[in-house]
Amino acid sequence: MTRLVLSALGSGTREGGVLRWLLPLLPVLVLLLIFFLLPLGELLRMSLLATRPMPRTPDPDVTLANYVAVFADPLHAEMAVNSLLVGLATVIFTLLIAYPVAIYLTRCGSWERTFISVACLLPIFVNLIVGILGWYILLLPFGVLQQALQWAGLIDGPLRLLRSFPALVLVLTYEHLPFAVLILASAVQNVPQDRINAARLLGASNLRIFRTVMLPLTMPGIVASAILVFSLSVSSYLIPILIGAQRVPVIPMAIFSYGTEQMNWPMGAALAFVLLVSVALITYGFTVLAGRLTRRGQWEVT
Amino acid sequence: MLALRIFSWLVVVFMLLPIAISLPVALTDSRRIAFPPEGLSLRWFEAILGDAVLLDTVMRSFLLASLAGVAAVLLALPCAFAIERNRFRGRIAIETLITGPRMIPQIVLVLGLLIWFERIGLAETFLGLVLAHLVVSVPFAFRTLMVSVAALDRRLESASAILGAGPARTFFKVTLPQLKTGVIAATIFTFILSFNNVTLALFLSALGQRTLPVEMFQRMYVGGMTPVIPAIAFLLALGGALFFVLLDRTVGVYKYLAGRD
Repeated sequence: MTRLVLSALGSGTREGGVLRWLLPLLPVLVLLLIFFLLPLGELLRMSLLATRPMPRTPDPDVTLANYVAVFADPLHAEMAVNSLLVGLATVIFTLLIAYPVAIYLTRCGSWERTFISVACLLPIFVNLIVGILGWYILLLPFGVLQQALQWAGLIDGPLRLLRSFPALVLVLTYEHLPFAVLILASAVQNVPQDRINAARLLGASNLRIFRTVMLPLTMPGIVASAILVFSLSVSSYLIPILIGAQRVPVIPMAIFSYGTEQMNWPMGAALAFVLLVSVALITYGFTVLAGRLTRRGQWEVT
Repeated sequence: MLALRIFSWLVVVFMLLPIAISLPVALTDSRRIAFPPEGLSLRWFEAILGDAVLLDTVMRSFLLASLAGVAAVLLALPCAFAIERNRFRGRIAIETLITGPRMIPQIVLVLGLLIWFERIGLAETFLGLVLAHLVVSVPFAFRTLMVSVAALDRRLESASAILGAGPARTFFKVTLPQLKTGVIAATIFTFILSFNNVTLALFLSALGQRTLPVEMFQRMYVGGMTPVIPAIAFLLALGGALFFVLLDRTVGVYKYLAGRD
């Protein structure tokens, strides 16, 4: 009887046909068509235009010259290497910091959990510029960190903290830590406690439990946060320009420069597509690789 | 366990340090950004009120984030229902499309929008800025609302229908009240997201039409930054933290944020 009423209500699929689901989706689909798909199409078209036409000039021939130029420029190669290294280093540090915190969050009392998670998620709610400004002040020459290190006797004389690779990775790690903590905390929470208990009963050491139970079972969370942090880090523009600046040039800096300062849209568009495809390929490769690792791990557990 | 605890608290210090440092720097009496502050005064907090350009950008950011937040939720709510309650071909593809603007690097999207707006005549307009924020807000609002729509108790709706209420009445009297918390949370989250976004406005806003974060960025980047920037940064941090604690106490932050899988 209930089932009959429910189907009469149209909770199935047949009643009302296509309009039933298409109509509520329509405004968003139109919005995304005009302001998401078409701009990307326009970006692709622009990347295939010959020289650097100023806006609104008629189209010259279609060419791959911009892509050739993107790969031929040694500065772009340097930027690509920097981007890759910065992304990888940020992923590693983010995971190394977030994983222990995620484990602790599932084991501590409720008061501690609230406080730690509020602190760790704060960068999501506080403007990016505020965080960057804070680190900028901390890292300034003769700034807070340098004074502290000097006072502790760890360094002697001025130190270049601000415009450096470690500083860039530090701030990127800071800004993207919340996402890793969020994902990993729920991954760690979903590990069944009886598996850990079973392993312990069978005499496994903490390290072995971590390697054979925790790691394989939380691998999807690790992969998800690694992918998210990587793609956010390599496409970040503001942190590189304000923290690393010209000492650590990365790809988004060139995209911004082509797009707004030099007004060379075809080159900017080509570079943007190279970034988009690279991020997609690396993400995909990493997913496949991690999938294999996880399967092997689970096989080891059962 | 003790090691984990110490480590976690060190991370807490790491997370709070850059946010907290703007306060002592803003309390200085000199024009220089320095730590420790050179004399204590509130003059830079007062200077915010005298800075017409800065106040103008604050108003613009509020307007932009309110428009984008409310519009995104209004647009995304029907989508969440359509996707959650129907099984049709291409459903996964449409879901991927809706979340698409958050999947691709924002710097790629914004360059596309910059070129596109030039072509269709929306370049350097406030409307263009709102639409750009809407495009990245809809996926977020959609994901957040999906959490609430999926958690709805469908039996209440069938009960209402059996008792003779029409679809509209059932929606407004039965379904919507259950969604109230979720909708409010989604609006606030989306508002914060738009308010904090820098990349979109950096590319798309005209000179003299900047949002607050872009104005802060420009003063940091171009130089000539006075402690008025740390002062407003501290107020922003305080506001963000208060918003967060308030939301966490009322609707719970984890439930909605963890929805982004």
